Amino acid sequence: MLEIYRYRDLVFALVARELKVRYRRSAIGFAWTMLQPLLTMLVLQVVFSSLFRFKLEEGTNNYPVYALSGILFWNFFSQSIVSSMNSLKGNSPILRKLPVPKEVFPLATVISGVINLVLALLPLFLILLVTHHPMGPSLLFLPVSILLAALFTLGAGLLLSPLAVFFSDVVELVGVLLSILMYLTPIFYPMEILKNSRYRPLVRFNPVRSILEVFRDPIFRGKVPPLSHLSVSLGIAVAALLLGIYAFRRSSDRIPFYI
Amino acid sequence: MAKPSIRLEGISLCYRLAKQRVPSLKEYAIHFLRGSLSYEKLWALRDIDLTIERGETLGIIGRNGAGKSTLLKVISRVLKPTLGTARIDGRIAPILELGSGFDYELTGLENIYLNALLLGHTKREIDAKVDEIVDFSGLGDFIRSPLRNYSSGMQARLGFSIATAWVPDILILDEVLSVGDATFTSRCEQRIGSFHSSGATVLIVSHATLAITKNCTRCIWLDDGEMKADGDALDVVNRYLREHGTEPGEHAGGRLPSAS
Repeated sequence: MLEIYRYRDLVFALVARELKVRYRRSAIGFAWTMLQPLLTMLVLQVVFSSLFRFKLEEGTNNYPVYALSGILFWNFFSQSIVSSMNSLKGNSPILRKLPVPKEVFPLATVISGVINLVLALLPLFLILLVTHHPMGPSLLFLPVSILLAALFTLGAGLLLSPLAVFFSDVVELVGVLLSILMYLTPIFYPMEILKNSRYRPLVRFNPVRSILEVFRDPIFRGKVPPLSHLSVSLGIAVAALLLGIYAFRRSSDRIPFYI
Repeated sequence: MAKPSIRLEGISLCYRLAKQRVPSLKEYAIHFLRGSLSYEKLWALRDIDLTIERGETLGIIGRNGAGKSTLLKVISRVLKPTLGTARIDGRIAPILELGSGFDYELTGLENIYLNALLLGHTKREIDAKVDEIVDFSGLGDFIRSPLRNYSSGMQARLGFSIATAWVPDILILDEVLSVGDATFTSRCEQRIGSFHSSGATVLIVSHATLAITKNCTRCIWLDDGEMKADGDALDVVNRYLREHGTEPGEHAGGRLPSAS
């Protein structure tokens, strides 16, 4: 970990490079980060509120905000994992020749994912305004939620990125698993619709859901997540990170041989 | 003298999957179920013992695939040896092959930052040295142009200028001296000489045996992963040339010394 600190300027440079590549390519690059979740939300709005009607939750029925907060979180999580897996491979000439701490690549990927997420909050706030959703001081809790999501995602990225080096089909496999996981996470449907479903426990005990609700509570429900939920989520995030660091450390020495 | 700069004891390195790699999890599972997981072992280094004192300039020669680059990667801590212990003391500046860690879409200037960061320097350290690096590379206005427009010689010049901007404890040069033009090569040699006098350890791999005899006092000869000779640079180079001297392409860029 100390070594990473010594290489902090490198991490920032890698983040800057990643953002530059993303936003330089087209003038719409920047706008696209904001438009894409909005468009997805519109589609979901049409599908879910006019085809299958359901009631969201007691108190508030603002589906666009519910769905958009879920989508932003999911985009961050899934895109960061996929890019972490590609980050080692993409830097193979460096890893084969220079003694760089390899963690810097997944780390830089997740950090740039966080920056994209923060930028994508702008259209979310716009929707909050447009739909007259109550905006309270609970929004100030969002940085903590994002930090928790980042730790969790970094853990998953560290766990999976060496595997993508050792086996070339892992990226595709994880892609499939992510799409299953997406349906097991209440991103665009409320927990209520699972009331009588046998899949309910799967969704309820899905750790990603825990992390998602910590992000959604301050936005959608206008409250700081209850302490019990928060501590469980913190536990999940820290456990994921420790597992990721452990797995990465163990396979780190073998990476240059396979890349 | 103080404790040695590099001490390798019984270093062996095996590329286990170098030949038959199982590229996908699916195939791995199939092979595993059939019990047909077999690995072809390729020993790139076999039982190498080597002690290099602080301030020594060591040449490494050998045919292609003899294990020279692998040895340098062990010393620069890129590859962990399968067996044996490697004790390396001090900061290393590795220039392994051309343009390690260069991004061809970035300009030369941006690459100075990226490359030096990869070598473990902080931004502040680079800010202080960047003018000197540009100056030494002699690239002039090209420094603002993307790296894809550079010739291989220009890339080597930039790489050398970056890695040697800070006096390292150990400088590793893998086939770098043979790429630049004559003027630049002599400037490189001057700089290596100044490192040498300030107590840095320098390791040079080159097929240009002249570069070895000119810069090194000691030379090792690797053959098929084993240490075939270790001694006075001129002696080892001459023995090497006697055995391989007639092979074409093995001493590209170097003129044969008239000795032997």
